[in-house]
Amino acid sequence: MLISCNRLKSYIKNSEDINFVKVWDTFTVKTAEVEKVTEKGKDLKDVITAKIVSVKKHPESKKLSLLKVSDGTNTYDIVCGAPNVKEGLIGVLVKENGMVSGIKITKRKLAGYISEGMMCAFDELGIGTDHEGIIELPDDTPIGVDIKTLYPIEDVIVEIDNKSLTNRPDLWGHYGIAREIAAITGHELLPLELLEVENNQTNLDIKILNEDLCPRYCGIKVKNLTNNKTPISMQIFLNYVGMRSISLFVDLTNYLMLELGQPMHAFDERVVKNITVKLAKENDTYTTLDKQERKLYNDTLMITNGSKYFGIAGVMGGLDSEILPDTNSIFIESANFNAGCVRKTAVKLGLRTEASSRYEKSLDPNLCDLAIKRLLYLLKKENPDMQIASNLTDIYPHILKPINITLTKQTIKRYTNIPFTDEMVKNILESLDFKVQVNKEDYLVTVPTVRATKDVTIPADLIEELVRIYGYDKIKEEPLKLASKAKVHETIWDEEYLAKKYLATAFKMNEIHSYLWFEDEALNKLGIIKENVKLIGAGKNKTLRDDLPLSLLPIVKENLKNYEKIAIFEIGTVIKNDQNNRHLAVMLAKSEKMEDLLLQAKEITASLFKSLKHQKVTFKTGKMADYYHDKSQQIWCNEVLIGYILMFNSQANNYIGKKKSLVAIDIDFDKFREIPKITPEFKAISKYPTVTLDYTITTPKEIKYADLEKILDEFKSNLILKRTYKDVFLNKDSKNYTIAYEIGSYEKTLAKKELENFQVRFINHIKNNGLEIIS
Amino acid sequence: MKEKLENLVTLVKKELDAVSKEAEILNLKAKYIGKKSEFSNLLSSLKEMSTDEKKVYGPLLNSKKKELEALFTTKIESLNNNIETDFDETLPVNINTGSLHPVTLIAKEITEVLKRMGFTVLQGLEMEDDYHNFEALNIPKDHPARDMQDTFYLDNGKLLRTQTSGDQVHAMEKYNVPLRICSPGRVFRNEDLDASHENTFFQLEGMVVDKDIKIENMFYVMKELLNEVFHQDVKMRVRPGFFPFTEPSFEMDMCCLICNGKGCPTCKNSGWIELIPGGMVHPNVLKKSGIDPDKYTGFAFGIGLTRLAMMKYKINDIRYLNSGDLRALKKFEIE
Repeated sequence: MLISCNRLKSYIKNSEDINFVKVWDTFTVKTAEVEKVTEKGKDLKDVITAKIVSVKKHPESKKLSLLKVSDGTNTYDIVCGAPNVKEGLIGVLVKENGMVSGIKITKRKLAGYISEGMMCAFDELGIGTDHEGIIELPDDTPIGVDIKTLYPIEDVIVEIDNKSLTNRPDLWGHYGIAREIAAITGHELLPLELLEVENNQTNLDIKILNEDLCPRYCGIKVKNLTNNKTPISMQIFLNYVGMRSISLFVDLTNYLMLELGQPMHAFDERVVKNITVKLAKENDTYTTLDKQERKLYNDTLMITNGSKYFGIAGVMGGLDSEILPDTNSIFIESANFNAGCVRKTAVKLGLRTEASSRYEKSLDPNLCDLAIKRLLYLLKKENPDMQIASNLTDIYPHILKPINITLTKQTIKRYTNIPFTDEMVKNILESLDFKVQVNKEDYLVTVPTVRATKDVTIPADLIEELVRIYGYDKIKEEPLKLASKAKVHETIWDEEYLAKKYLATAFKMNEIHSYLWFEDEALNKLGIIKENVKLIGAGKNKTLRDDLPLSLLPIVKENLKNYEKIAIFEIGTVIKNDQNNRHLAVMLAKSEKMEDLLLQAKEITASLFKSLKHQKVTFKTGKMADYYHDKSQQIWCNEVLIGYILMFNSQANNYIGKKKSLVAIDIDFDKFREIPKITPEFKAISKYPTVTLDYTITTPKEIKYADLEKILDEFKSNLILKRTYKDVFLNKDSKNYTIAYEIGSYEKTLAKKELENFQVRFINHIKNNGLEIIS
Repeated sequence: MKEKLENLVTLVKKELDAVSKEAEILNLKAKYIGKKSEFSNLLSSLKEMSTDEKKVYGPLLNSKKKELEALFTTKIESLNNNIETDFDETLPVNINTGSLHPVTLIAKEITEVLKRMGFTVLQGLEMEDDYHNFEALNIPKDHPARDMQDTFYLDNGKLLRTQTSGDQVHAMEKYNVPLRICSPGRVFRNEDLDASHENTFFQLEGMVVDKDIKIENMFYVMKELLNEVFHQDVKMRVRPGFFPFTEPSFEMDMCCLICNGKGCPTCKNSGWIELIPGGMVHPNVLKKSGIDPDKYTGFAFGIGLTRLAMMKYKINDIRYLNSGDLRALKKFEIE
């Protein structure tokens, strides 16, 4: 929102003491964020009022005229292209070497004739957008006077971040901003000049059918309006704060909105019959002022006139009530509408207006009549013969009264160490228009209704008022006292971080993050239909993921375009059985044999459990869903099924690339966290030398390691300290498993005989089981 | 004799300097102090000396023998064929480490600082119910944040949380008071994606509730946190803010570290970076979770982790973060 400091000055007593360029730093930290401060009119030099004394057509140009312009002392030759030049016109002259918009005007030849300056249009002075012709000042304007002394061209325009005003409906107008500036600089806010209405005529026919959606509606008719021309100073103001000047009647309603924050509407009085505020009929249509036909809903609040729609309440008026060139009597509306209702309508219609964005903030209904009286005062200044043609009709069934809050001194102490005295509390709150009754233990504070619609309702709100005006920058930081409970302890982030760090360091993997939903396109390609929780109303990607490895397939595919092999992981949420569930997924994709990749996955899994939990895992054949390969493995730990090592089916594997092997690990991280971490026990090292014996055992091809392991387990000897699997070699018809035994004793050095005995016994054991052995 | 021995030492030193192989050294050792050496003969001649002579020459010979032995030992120790190398110290190495996601790194960094101040790290739920995401946080039914336009609602009646603030409520329900928690996590907004907008990003929630928790405490914790995260004395500015679940509410800005407050593109020429929204916990929020606001006060704050990660690592497009594109993500080494 743009704020004109010239306007603010007019509301504050002794405002000349305030530096309106610098005060905004303070405003930012005490009230709302200021985004930009711009000084206007600084780039104007030697711009004066001057009268055209003669006009001659340029002999060769259709457009150009040759003017003689007088400032009362001197006469200047000016070449001018404006169509509205005429003798006697008082306009704005930039003299030779003067400046407008930062451009220096020099004496120069234009189309063969010397021009000693320039006559200006509104846009050239930076005070308007009009470039139709040169400015025409009123006939009684003195000539030869610096334009800046006549009109508020020099101004400071401040841009305030709208977002920081969402909870301050009182700050959506200049008067509210002035109240804050007065409070933070210790100045007095002046009352607004109003025109009181006697109300000795008849009431207008106004009805509100939905009092909850329209708490108040004020209307008045005014006639005998002969001047619909907006004064130049108001045009400059409107332009500076980003509004287009249209006509006095319309401009005044906008002006009031900018001054008090109260949106208003002026209708051509000739068409106004009886006004009813009520809900629209679903699917009705209505053409708004911007010539757009809009569909209405049964929760759209409308202003109706007679039997016709007249305007969308709080959003926009209609075409048929527009002020016309011959309008000389108007009906002024100043109403209050429910914030939620206006917001919903604006969103539904896709039509956010200056009015709707103010109503959305919960405006004070007590502004309605004030705004009318203020508008009448300003209107009468331009139309001294104006006549009030009706009562100020005010439908206000439930009057909003100021609210009272008891703020105990103890409460203030619980929130801050600032030593507030009664005087400080009273001064601060009263500067903001609150009333304060000081008691022994507390303050009884009356909140003005402009602040009471939603902003200030509880003691904590008053504490905010006190502390922000006192100054957040004056607060002395203080450390927390030690009072936290050690038993409040959750390990989830630590465990997740450790697992991530382990995978990234031990296995050089890369962590990625991906979305909580499946990519529809990928699922379609794979022919997988997922029945899971869905997003409502979103575009594509509607189904939430219940399978982390599956949802990562597109990422694997994309990365394989840039990398030969990838090893990525994510720890994230999946939604399973309507519940949040943390999962860890590892995706390995390489041009290697599937067996090797599966073995790597097994190593990663077992290492992870060993490293983080000191637990062993076992594997059983089994898959997580039917789109996985039958050779997939379940991961078991502590007799709990905790995850899978997954091979995809051919369709899914082909999806990422036919030549790549793809293996995934999926671990239910919630279950993983529940596994107790085993504290390993210290085991003494044998003081005596140990011997390592390697054996290669040849088995038929169909013998798996687990089968061999059974045979090995049957061989008992108290000399065995450790047995290690080393590798397997596949021959054409057989397999060679290499294992190693570390043998020794804690009591003594093994005798040669004992060693030989062990070897003989073991070799016999293997041979007795029908296998060949090489030692 | 003494002179003779000194000469021998000098000779041995000279000869040792000339050799560089272990075998050569051992040969010299045999030659000068071995069993058949002249020195050995001298030693055996001690037996035939008188007692007085023994007293003089015995210690002398012994000390010289030790001196000579030491010379050989030192020379042998100084040799090691293994460390003889033609290493080209300019050869490059290929670094192939794994990587953690930038948000993981920043979350770790921040939670570590908070832990040192006594905060417990919690984790909330991405699929959340209306009560924890909105209602318990004093967000009225018609609040704009609840619009379909901003929130991902689900067909099971739940929603994807729009903020981590619901974890305040979970923490109060689970642990009651006193409470000092933080909770990093993913949140979701129904937004169109562009370089600075994502529908999925990370925040960190923080909350302290106890007797006599004051505004001063909050400012301290925030300042300390920023100082530690940015490793310098950060200048902070507090402005009024508005959030339904805090009162008073603050917007905490950090003096732009790039321009030092002078104004630059990063801080949009304001000199300040909006970083931490927060405030004193709204009495209604305490009440809803069964905590007596007349006895307890507290503060809560939020930090945009994704934004912070982008600032710290100078990531210019938010979309990289959820893309899984290793060309972008591999750069983040483990800390």
